[in-house]
Amino acid sequence: MTVAMVSAPPVDRAAIDKAQLRERISIRKLDFYYGNSRALKAISLPLYDRRVTAFIGPSGCGKSTLLRVLNRMYDLYPNQRAEGEVLFDGGNILSPKQDLNLLRARIGMVFQKPTPFPMTIYDNIAFGIRLYERLSKSEIDGRVEESLRRAGLWNEVKDKLQANGLSLSGGQQQRLCIARTVAVRPEVILLDEPCSALDPISTAKIEELIEELKLDYTIIIVTHNMQQAARVSEFTAFMYLGELIEFGDTQKIFTKPNDSRTQDYITGRFG
Amino acid sequence: MRSALYARRRRRNAIAMTLSLGATLIGLGWLVLILGALLWQGVNGLSLKVFTEMTPPPGAGGGLLNPIFGSLIMTTLAVLIGTPVGILAGTYMAEYGRYARTTSVVRFINDILLSAPSIIVGLFIYEVVVAQMGHFSAFAGALALAVIVIPVVIRTTEDMLLLVPNALREAAAALGMPRAYIIRHVAYRAAKAGIVTGVLLAIARISGETAPLLFTALNNQFWSSNLNAPMASLPAVIFQFALSPYADWQKLAWSGALIITLAVLTLSIAARVVTRTRRQS
Repeated sequence: MTVAMVSAPPVDRAAIDKAQLRERISIRKLDFYYGNSRALKAISLPLYDRRVTAFIGPSGCGKSTLLRVLNRMYDLYPNQRAEGEVLFDGGNILSPKQDLNLLRARIGMVFQKPTPFPMTIYDNIAFGIRLYERLSKSEIDGRVEESLRRAGLWNEVKDKLQANGLSLSGGQQQRLCIARTVAVRPEVILLDEPCSALDPISTAKIEELIEELKLDYTIIIVTHNMQQAARVSEFTAFMYLGELIEFGDTQKIFTKPNDSRTQDYITGRFG
Repeated sequence: MRSALYARRRRRNAIAMTLSLGATLIGLGWLVLILGALLWQGVNGLSLKVFTEMTPPPGAGGGLLNPIFGSLIMTTLAVLIGTPVGILAGTYMAEYGRYARTTSVVRFINDILLSAPSIIVGLFIYEVVVAQMGHFSAFAGALALAVIVIPVVIRTTEDMLLLVPNALREAAAALGMPRAYIIRHVAYRAAKAGIVTGVLLAIARISGETAPLLFTALNNQFWSSNLNAPMASLPAVIFQFALSPYADWQKLAWSGALIITLAVLTLSIAARVVTRTRRQS
């Protein structure tokens, strides 16, 4: 899919062209409303295949809202609606005809707080797999192990796969949630402040994990931690009051931002 | 100055503590008295005969087998009718219709039903079932009890499902799980202990109800397993025997009261245990 970029804010084209990027998701003129209040204002943004894109900005700027549009999570609630286009594989995600379950199987999400299901570690992962694939017991076993290995959790839980997922520590639970997401083999992974409830060691583990996952997946991460955005992402979108202020190469955003508001936020003058 | 303020605070604290301790003791005191009287009077008459023989004519000697059986049958039937309706309605209110107007209307009506005097439920079933069929029946009794079960189960199911964090539902939805799946495999699982407790509480509630049975299942001196005929039940027999002038009937009434109380107590403890094991696992 080669879609020309339609991005109002300044984009560092030179750096992007150089890397031969493929646009996986194209957000175009996206507006989002909670009831009558407009939370996102004409957002246009490309999200690239096998790259990590970070959404940064002060609380309430719409980062998480934007993330939750990408898998239509907002559909679970009344009075929330999106207008505009979000193109994914040529189709518009926002179309009422979009099958939400299939969409969410292809665009996985990991949340701020770890949310293991109240079942065994094994079932936490096998459950998602069984939803869309008919596999033999041994194939599922294999997939469970593979996902736990990818999430760097295998060695810690291989002897207690039948223990309840809730018995793990916070950091382990979050990696279990990542394993669960990876197990259904999505194409895009959305991370909504995945480390905000974790200690520095667990955070480091998850960041390493993101480095590895981006070889296969398109990753979008919302984070309050600017060092984290700088460490893990190739592209950064800075949002403020529901608007996309600046999008571009992470290095550029963090060293020579075009907009003074980006500069102020990054240097800690507000936010 | 400061120490005077502190002393006053301590005095107030002591008074509040004494008052609440006193209130607790008064509350518990009645419970102990009731249980004590029951045990004292009931254990006396408790024997194997109580569980193996039918209710006797005055002075003949006998047991409570037919009312025990009747209570078990009608309670079971009521739970079998009431639980599915209650759980499904509670599920609709907490999951599918959480933001619907219907839900708040149903919740309001359900709360009224929840606190409706049970004799009214009995009269209602008398009017729509007994009067239509022309005779009292165990089935009508079970139906009256089911009407009492339903609001209890609706309430607890809805409350327990609302306690399941939305984050869990979102996490399940994010894997591409259809709604029905999320409810069955995630929400029910997380709320299981609470829902089961609700059902147990409903059983405890109806196993002591007399009023709804008086106009529906009536009572029966003899063994009957016919759902289409009047059936004995422990509360009704207690009511009849306790009011009688015969000493042996009164004794059986005490034994019956003890049996119900112990059964309800066992259920409540079971409910506690179920909840606790859930939390640990």
